[in-house]
Amino acid sequence: MILSNIGFLSLLFGLISSFIVFLCTVLNIKKNSLNLEKKIYKFLTLQFFFVIIGFFILLYSFLISDFSNETVYNNSHSTKPVFYKVTGLWGNHEGSLLLWLLVLTSFMLFFFLSSKNEPKNFRLYTVIFHQIIVIGFFIFVLKTSNPFDILFPIPSEGLGLNPILQDPALAIHPPILYVGYVGTSIIFASALAAMVTGYVNNIWAKNLKKWVLISWTFLTGGILLGSIWAYYELGWGGFWFWDPVENISLMPWLSLTALLHCISTLEKRDLLKNWSIILSIVTFMLSVTGTFLVRSGILNSVHTFANDPSRGIYILIFLFVIIFVSFIIFLIFESKNLENKKEIFFLSKETSVLINNWFMIYFLSVVLIGTVYPIFLDVITSEKISVGPPFYHKLLIPFLVPFFLFMSVGPSMSWIKTNLKFKISYVYYFLFTLILTIITIYFLSQKDILIKILIFSLVFLTIKTIVNFLKKNTNHAQNLSHLGFAMLMLSILFNAVTSTETIKNIKVGESFISKNDKITFEEIKTNEKKNYSSIIGTFEIKNVNDKIIKLYPEIRIYNQPVIATSEAAIKTTLFKDRFITINLIKDEQLFNVRYQNKPFMIWIWISTLIIIFGGAFAIFNKKKNYS
Amino acid sequence: MVKKRILVFLFLFINFIGNCYSETEPYSKLENNIAKNLRCLICQGQSIYDSNSEFALSMRVYIKDQINSGYSESQIYNMLVKKYGQWIVYDPGYSKKTFLLWFIPILFFLLGGAIIYLRIYKSKKYE
Repeated sequence: MILSNIGFLSLLFGLISSFIVFLCTVLNIKKNSLNLEKKIYKFLTLQFFFVIIGFFILLYSFLISDFSNETVYNNSHSTKPVFYKVTGLWGNHEGSLLLWLLVLTSFMLFFFLSSKNEPKNFRLYTVIFHQIIVIGFFIFVLKTSNPFDILFPIPSEGLGLNPILQDPALAIHPPILYVGYVGTSIIFASALAAMVTGYVNNIWAKNLKKWVLISWTFLTGGILLGSIWAYYELGWGGFWFWDPVENISLMPWLSLTALLHCISTLEKRDLLKNWSIILSIVTFMLSVTGTFLVRSGILNSVHTFANDPSRGIYILIFLFVIIFVSFIIFLIFESKNLENKKEIFFLSKETSVLINNWFMIYFLSVVLIGTVYPIFLDVITSEKISVGPPFYHKLLIPFLVPFFLFMSVGPSMSWIKTNLKFKISYVYYFLFTLILTIITIYFLSQKDILIKILIFSLVFLTIKTIVNFLKKNTNHAQNLSHLGFAMLMLSILFNAVTSTETIKNIKVGESFISKNDKITFEEIKTNEKKNYSSIIGTFEIKNVNDKIIKLYPEIRIYNQPVIATSEAAIKTTLFKDRFITINLIKDEQLFNVRYQNKPFMIWIWISTLIIIFGGAFAIFNKKKNYS
Repeated sequence: MVKKRILVFLFLFINFIGNCYSETEPYSKLENNIAKNLRCLICQGQSIYDSNSEFALSMRVYIKDQINSGYSESQIYNMLVKKYGQWIVYDPGYSKKTFLLWFIPILFFLLGGAIIYLRIYKSKKYE
């Protein structure tokens, strides 16, 4: 109980430090003293220190199962494995906001230390704008989501963590995703500061790119972990459902990707100033909107675990304040950063970047409208509609074809102007692509014309990207990420068109055939663990070559809270995943067995990892002067 | 002893999530496709296909019955929309209500293209 009080006080002191930092910075802009800068540094460190104390106190309360703390009581249980006691900290609203605050304050400190070579006023304004966000979040945590609320009398046992969150991939998913989200706050503050101080130029772009890359890489990683989790934990073999919460993580990703391309143009050519600023602001808005939509409980999502409408309203107000402030700043200081009126040639990297941004914004608008339209329609006409996969597929897939084609040629363009001469190699590329496409289509036995065209454009993209690796003076980080993206799209496409599935209700001892595999239900066992009991089925899968694989899908019944989950058994090979789940049927000895054959599944993860490697490579690569 | 406890647990759960539907070959391809396009109304963001709830399973029985009585896929959707509202189908369809839903993104695309074209075309005059 004393611990929780210390934790709360520590957060309160953190908030006070934020106010002091804010005041110091405002004063420092007017004066010219080095002394004050030291003070800012001291208080930023102090602020970070207080949040760390709060964080570790909550962590400790989770570890010793201190149920006098309401957050621990609501989300933990003494029988939970230690690993999930730790991750239970951010598996709930209060704790996850504390984590958010921790990343937020540590990033500010990191920014302040790493930006010593940049103009003083730019740094100070960045601190000011960032402190507005930090203060907003501090007040949000202390007022509506205090992780240190005390319970009395002290309960003897906690309520436990939602079992589908008790999973290694999901345990590390929030921290990774938050680094991505919170990184956008630095981008946002830095963009506003650059506006105010008239610093929107190529040097600013060069420094900001590092932050864009960090956010982008971590956000990609966070989305990957979430998808992997959905794949094997939600238990029906999909990895992306166009679920609102998934869309919300995809939206900042799309605008970050656009910003990443746009900022290179600003860096190299001093062009697209306003557009870079707008994208920086929009990206952060989308991150905050995401938090608002997830936390408010407005969305009907498979990922909704904890929500409270009053919190939603607070974030909504916060969001409006931020939008208002950035809008005003944009209007006032736009004239300070006049756009360069250089000519943009049609065949140039500048045009390629513009086209990339064009498609990114289109994809973003599809996802955004698809996610929020039903909410607005419900509010205005009180009619409920669902916007699901058919909507996204219809609006996205046809546009992917030109997108892939532009993406194939874009990186080969030079800055300013490309002198296009006809080369015989173009004919070879085309023929090679055509042959590979025909072979692929033959093996997939595809009739759908759209899929044929998609395969053609993707094969072309892959070939062109691979060729880029061999060129002199090439950007390997970009090549890696582009290759990863091409492979990702190919894997998703192949996976979608070749997956097969058989659902049967069978008894123990019976067997059935699915395509080329014979599946036999051999036996059923029961098992008891510390935090759940389970029924484990043993299945034998025999393929055409008489190779035998054993799979053990489970039905788990967790004790705290009492929830049944179906654990898929997956056999992963380089070429395909075999995926089996079992479910119970009432009053019978039958089990509902769902067997899926999912080719190229692992390549979806591998190619996303390649995308991430590309990002990481760009962060750590010192040599940055590509043609 | 341990086994008994598990059996009690099991029994509770079978009654809770199980369903009386139990043929050996439960669903045809068409039925699965329809189930994928329908929302499980009592779940959080799951389709009928993905859910094992009571509601989902009874919906599956309903779909099977309707197909057996000769109704087409779109007729089944229409019947369900009449009964439960547009909320149940994942495809928002084209109607007055959803006009903006389809139109706004397309507008973004057209506007974006126009802006880029103008920027490149206009910039020729600067030199």
